[in-house]
Amino acid sequence: MNVNVINRRTALRRLLYIAGGALLLPACYRQSGKATIEMTNLEIEEEQENLLAELVETIIPSSDTPGGKELLLHLFVLKMVDDCHNPEDQKAFMEGIVAFSAYAHEATGQDFMEMDADKRLAFLEAIPEVADEQVKRFYAITKRRTIQGYMNSKYVMTDLKKYELVPGRYNGYFKMT
Amino acid sequence: MANLNIDSVKTRTFDAIVIGSGASGGWAAKEFTEKGLKTLLLERGRDVVHVKDYPTTNLYPYELEHRGEMTYADKQANPIANRCYAYKEDTQHFFAKDEEHPYVQEKDFDWIRGYQVGGKSLLWARQTQRWSEYDFEGPARDGFAVDWPIRYKDIDPWYSYVERFVGIAGNKDGLYTLPDGDFLPGYPLNAVEDYFRQSVNKNFKNRHVISARCAHLSEPQPIHIEQGRVKCQHRILCQRGCPFGGYFSSNASTIPWAQKTGNLTLRPHAVVYSILYDQESGKAKGVRVIDTESLEEMEFFADVIFVNASALNTNLILLNSKSDRFPEGLGNDNGLLGKYVAFHNYTARISAEYDGLLEYRTDGRNPAGGGYIPNFRNVDRQETDFLRGWAAAFGAGRSQIRDTNGIGDTLKSALLEDSKWSNWRVHSHMMAETIPKEENRVWLDTDKTDKWGVPLLHIAVDYAEDDWQRRQDYYEQMTAMYEAAGFTNIRTSNDGRRPGNDIHEMGGVRMGHDPKTSLLNKWNQLHLCKNVYVTDGACMTSTATQNPTLTYMALTARAVDHAVKSLKNGDL
Repeated sequence: MNVNVINRRTALRRLLYIAGGALLLPACYRQSGKATIEMTNLEIEEEQENLLAELVETIIPSSDTPGGKELLLHLFVLKMVDDCHNPEDQKAFMEGIVAFSAYAHEATGQDFMEMDADKRLAFLEAIPEVADEQVKRFYAITKRRTIQGYMNSKYVMTDLKKYELVPGRYNGYFKMT
Repeated sequence: MANLNIDSVKTRTFDAIVIGSGASGGWAAKEFTEKGLKTLLLERGRDVVHVKDYPTTNLYPYELEHRGEMTYADKQANPIANRCYAYKEDTQHFFAKDEEHPYVQEKDFDWIRGYQVGGKSLLWARQTQRWSEYDFEGPARDGFAVDWPIRYKDIDPWYSYVERFVGIAGNKDGLYTLPDGDFLPGYPLNAVEDYFRQSVNKNFKNRHVISARCAHLSEPQPIHIEQGRVKCQHRILCQRGCPFGGYFSSNASTIPWAQKTGNLTLRPHAVVYSILYDQESGKAKGVRVIDTESLEEMEFFADVIFVNASALNTNLILLNSKSDRFPEGLGNDNGLLGKYVAFHNYTARISAEYDGLLEYRTDGRNPAGGGYIPNFRNVDRQETDFLRGWAAAFGAGRSQIRDTNGIGDTLKSALLEDSKWSNWRVHSHMMAETIPKEENRVWLDTDKTDKWGVPLLHIAVDYAEDDWQRRQDYYEQMTAMYEAAGFTNIRTSNDGRRPGNDIHEMGGVRMGHDPKTSLLNKWNQLHLCKNVYVTDGACMTSTATQNPTLTYMALTARAVDHAVKSLKNGDL
């Protein structure tokens, strides 16, 4: 049994839980080479999905609390770009993910997937200064949606920054301590 | 067969028919049924049962597939609905979709509609202010539109009557520009809203900042508990439908109340095609309806008909109610039906910052939204180059500043830490009166229809030069008031919204004394067809600056009282 498959299955189950069952499950868990979620507009290969998973993990790494990959923020990014962005953004995203891989190799001599965590971090930190527009745009979309997905994840909203559905109060003179 | 037909007519005959189940239609249904009249309440959309049919009401943000955002495909398909501030992933099922409900925009006009039982009362902003004597006197004093056939004293007791049942949170502010009502405790202003109130009091004569008055149960009374409604829980997720009944909607309040009497027949999926006029009696005898599911055409009959289909749809139904006697639409001998449509100009905003009172922030959420500045322009005398004036919303708040520049652990801790609070940000938006103009009008297409065969409505409603004068005054006066309070970084902005996006369209079937220049009399009856009453936004002679729903509800209760008395006297 391939460990990755197990992880993907666990991940999928968690995803369905997180998304309230809203995301569609493909007919089989793994159709070789394809993304794990069904998309209307984006055509994402498994490799690209894995790259995106590492990217969101670098943006929000796991520590004593879960990081981007475990919270499936890469799938959230894909879902949002696929459904909520305009075709121009989607095209930029698709071109950007290809450009990103190429740029990583060109800039560091290594594929992003092969880099260790520190190297990935250093590489991403430099993007706003040095990368071309395509890479920057892809990275900006990914980062923005990753942060949104994180702050609006069930985990963060339940365990870290509690969202109050029913506050039941209002104090207009709340004294700061 | 003959008997069957007689029975069929009998089962389709009621004492009263109410067209539309929004805020005013719900009130008509409540009043009629309470007074013992068998009432048919027609609604063009589907049924929405309180709580049961609020599918998103208890969802957490992460349970919404797109975290509240609308999809690109939906924005493309429904650009009009998407321009409404309240149209989001969690509320979109309560809005009419552009594609399904076309109309013809002679000029840009966002017609925001809620086609379901409860109508837009599920979606409204719940701001409720009485009109003052000066608002009713406005047209006569300033020489525009026609004189209102009623004055404040005529509606005052009906405001109270409605307020007690609806539940309005507000303070007794003692302002002659904005009369007090029968209030539940008001929601408080926050530290900076309160500071601004004091500053305005000190520096400007006859200008006031008060707590916004709203249809929320701040302290429910027995009459509200009896409706099954409880205290507002400050969720501010109102447009999803409130499981507590914390704010007023037809669904939470008037419709279940009417149902309890046993006198209500609620018929959803019923588009009204026209009102049927009976030449012999000189009265309307019923309505022609198209069932949106079966597409079957049917007729219902009653002694009295209330048209509460929402302002522009009420115009549409009357225009489409053609007969030999009224070839241009019911009661429309003077050709003014559909004309003098007006609205509120909401295009202006002003924001700023305040560096004081940093020892405070807010905690929880304020159902009222903040403060309200009643109109102070041209109230008891004309003082500017333009007619009438504007009211404004005012609010202040602080937010947490998050540094999202970093990545990795730096970013993660920046997102999670109890970060710094911004200074106070204050904001206001304008709600300006518009002057009803004959060229602002609606009419029916002679050819094109919707999928139920109802002619499409043409809408030609636009801003005019005087709207920009009022807006300039808002910018100038608010800037002066902000400056006096020591606010900094003051920014005015035009949000560019189209007419209609204020969702306060009014008029077209205006009230007045004279059948030559108006459609409705002082009791909201068509001058020329007395058993047809119009008490939604279509009846409005002028717009004032107040949010109008409270006035529609009060006019409705008053008109039903008149209708029932007239029926008993044999006057109808």
